[in-house]
Amino acid sequence: MASRRRMLLKVIILGDSGVGKTSLMNQYVNRKFSNQYKATIGADFLTKEVQFEDRLFTLQIWDTAGQERFQSLGVAFYRGADCCVLVYDVNVAKSFDNLNNWREEFLVQASPSDPENFPFVVLGNKVDVEGGNSRVVSEKKAKAWCASKGNIPYFETSAKEGINVEAAFQCIAQNALKTEPEEEIYFPDTIDVAGSGRHQRSSGCEC
Amino acid sequence: MQEADLHDLSDDPDYAASQQQALGRSLYRSDSAKSTEMDSGGGGGSETVYVKDNVAIHPTQYASERISGRLLLVKRDSSLFMTWIPYKLSVGGTDSTGRSSNAGILEKDRKLYTIKDVPLADVHSIRRHTPTLGWQYIIVVLSSGLAFPPLYFYNGGVREFLATLKQHVFIVRSADDANVFLANDFQDPLQKSLSSLELPRVVSVANGATLHGSVGALSSVENSERRNGDMQIATSSSEYSGRNKHKLHDPARDISIQVLEKFSLVTKFARETTSHLFRENHNNDSSIHERKQLDHKPSSASTDTQKISSAPVAPDPLEFDKLPLIWGKQRQQPLDVKEWVCFLDAEGRITDSKALRKRIFYGGVEHSIRKEVWKFLLGYHPYDSTYAEREYLASVKKSEYEIIKSQWQSISPAQARRFTKFRERKGLIEKDVVRTDRSISFYDGDDNPNVAVLHDILLTYSFYNFDLGYCQGMSDLLSPIFYVMEDESESFWCFVELMERLGPNFNRDQSGMHSQLFALLKLVELLDTPLHNYFSKTECLNYFFCFRWLLIQFKREFEYEEVMRLWEVLWTHYLSEHLHLYICVAILKRYRQKIMGEEMDFDTLLKFINELSGRIRLGDILRDAEALCVCAGENGDACIPPGTPPSLPLETASLYPQQDQDDI
Ligand SMILES: Nc1nc2c(ncn2[C@@H]2O[C@H](COP(=O)(O)OP(=O)(O)OP(=O)(O)O)[C@@H](O)[C@H]2O)c(=O)[nH]1
Ligand SMILES: [Mg+2]
Repeated sequence: MASRRRMLLKVIILGDSGVGKTSLMNQYVNRKFSNQYKATIGADFLTKEVQFEDRLFTLQIWDTAGQERFQSLGVAFYRGADCCVLVYDVNVAKSFDNLNNWREEFLVQASPSDPENFPFVVLGNKVDVEGGNSRVVSEKKAKAWCASKGNIPYFETSAKEGINVEAAFQCIAQNALKTEPEEEIYFPDTIDVAGSGRHQRSSGCEC
Repeated sequence: MQEADLHDLSDDPDYAASQQQALGRSLYRSDSAKSTEMDSGGGGGSETVYVKDNVAIHPTQYASERISGRLLLVKRDSSLFMTWIPYKLSVGGTDSTGRSSNAGILEKDRKLYTIKDVPLADVHSIRRHTPTLGWQYIIVVLSSGLAFPPLYFYNGGVREFLATLKQHVFIVRSADDANVFLANDFQDPLQKSLSSLELPRVVSVANGATLHGSVGALSSVENSERRNGDMQIATSSSEYSGRNKHKLHDPARDISIQVLEKFSLVTKFARETTSHLFRENHNNDSSIHERKQLDHKPSSASTDTQKISSAPVAPDPLEFDKLPLIWGKQRQQPLDVKEWVCFLDAEGRITDSKALRKRIFYGGVEHSIRKEVWKFLLGYHPYDSTYAEREYLASVKKSEYEIIKSQWQSISPAQARRFTKFRERKGLIEKDVVRTDRSISFYDGDDNPNVAVLHDILLTYSFYNFDLGYCQGMSDLLSPIFYVMEDESESFWCFVELMERLGPNFNRDQSGMHSQLFALLKLVELLDTPLHNYFSKTECLNYFFCFRWLLIQFKREFEYEEVMRLWEVLWTHYLSEHLHLYICVAILKRYRQKIMGEEMDFDTLLKFINELSGRIRLGDILRDAEALCVCAGENGDACIPPGTPPSLPLETASLYPQQDQDDI
């Protein structure tokens, strides 16, 4: 009956400090880039209306602080996520190495009912820097990791130049949608999932 | 690859934890001693009536980390005992997430949180949480008022646990809350009514006898906590006035502070529940004690929101609520040079620092003299120092600064390649300084030398206080200081002083933040009970929506000039060293109608608060905060756990000695 209701899809963006999470979110939602963004403290989110087929959704994109010390806050924000975006900086090896930590951190704190199949999307950001000459993580390596974690969709982006950002979020939205149960439940308050499996989604990404 | 090591290097060590190592070990020793004694004393007739695996505790300082263990109910000599034993590391395979980092810390926590043979006779109640999203957990509250950290049932089974309990002990479901199960519901009303007061006192009325030897490792923690609680009772008695000083000089504090802080975090949720539970019962009973109090206050007709009944000067929150907040004094013009020099004697001493602080509290400081005045407010210059002494200090401190700075400046590229922590720290600082106040002309544009100075000061600070290191938010705190001081060394030392007070905000275990968020919760409960109830109903009691306010002292909430005004007012510590918490309450109260009227949920509230940035009228809020602070009085003080930042540094030693012991 609720098929015409607008559904809220919650997306969490994670990754090391400075990889460009805030910039990506703003590029997608507001189509602009500024180098005056401040380091994120606490958390914030932006929303954007998206349309699939003939249905409208509200994408709620959460941007949190990247520094490890703030991770304990995550639990308050990760709950109820429909998709998790892992971002690294293709020019910083460490930010790629940390993807695994971020992924596990998320799974622990968000405690999705079906962790094996929870949708992630990985973004390798800042491909524009020095025309790609300073990159240290190859696309191949990134894709291999994504493949090893259950075929996580992978995009190479530049928040600065707006490269691939739209496409990436299109995929993110689609994946978020898949975690929703067949009969739509109006978000957010009273979904009783205590024990029952909420996230029944088919695996893989079709984008 | 040594994932765990790398992971660990990526940030700074938890110095608090390293400090606790010794403590943790001794706790463990007494714990194991007790357990053997228990085991041998228990005799033959023990029967395990309930076992549940994968029941976990989340030590809050690493909410990501969980300590999984086994929960048992054991019947012995017709008494029932509850035990929770964490798995050994080697059995960590059951910890399905496979997190291996910080193993050392987990190891200590494991010992700290072990629950050993707690007699069910000591249990006051059990609160069951079956959230719609996430795992079920229970909070066990002891008759003493102490509560264990939430026990998460990763494999479910809360119902089964309660059902088993029911077979063996007398428990009833609370009439007020279907999720609360009261055990031994026949306590004496006096204790109950005492318990319903502020939380520190709840802990202080703990009946130690019932706990002795039964809680194992926790009992020592509990002792230190109780010691602290006693202190709080003393402070709330009417003879007391200089509360903060008392607090700082308490010898018990030194010993207990670390455990206390750690433990108070862990039990944050539990404590909320505790107070909630006790209050519920309390209201139910409408004990004589409370009735009497109420009789004196005809205005508090609706009893359910009235709880601070015992204090002689307790303001009625409801009554207070009705009044418009106009009690704060009219703000004055900022202190100017002419007035400023009047505070100085011939040799440059400030003779009446209290009068000065009061003056600044009500009006702030003109920008032209900030450079001078801030050094006093921050504690870098002693009030009784002379011009000559200060000049000398500046030169000494300048060379001291240069020495510390040279420590990282002399790191060669080859050395840096082998110094991951240095590289990462430097990288983080580099990324942050270019994201700090770039809209202020002082810091704008490419290759701005002032940005480079921010970088150098922060990196030097991270060597000066290597244990704390660099954390996001610090650049926000430094920016106005350097803007005012315009001198690298002086800015550094002022920043050092500020970090003496705010350093715990950046603790890796977030202890400073958690204690402030907790204090804020208590203050709102005291000063705006309906709002508190609303937050409780909407599960907003974690107050994470105020995180940014507290972490960087409202730096992002006001215009630059206003931030400086606010900070100098806060730094006077004139009415309270925790005025910033009252400012939080004041802001929330300003918008309470909107928050409750629009029935904001957590997300909406967070967004709303974030978007308040730049829209809060500082003058009004300062006056509200002053009024609230005065109004709350001692009851307000009692809401704020000892050690909550920004605590005043001691005259001689640092308040956080562990940060200073090995300055590199
Ligand atoms: N060249 C380039 N720079 C970028 C790009 N994305 C972000 N940046 C810059 O990288 C820095 C960090 O970007 P943020 O978006 O603030 O990073 P973040 O991941 O949100 O960082 P935290 O909030 O600290 O967790 C800023 O100086 C941005 O201007 C990009 O695609 N290309
Ligand atoms: Mg950010």
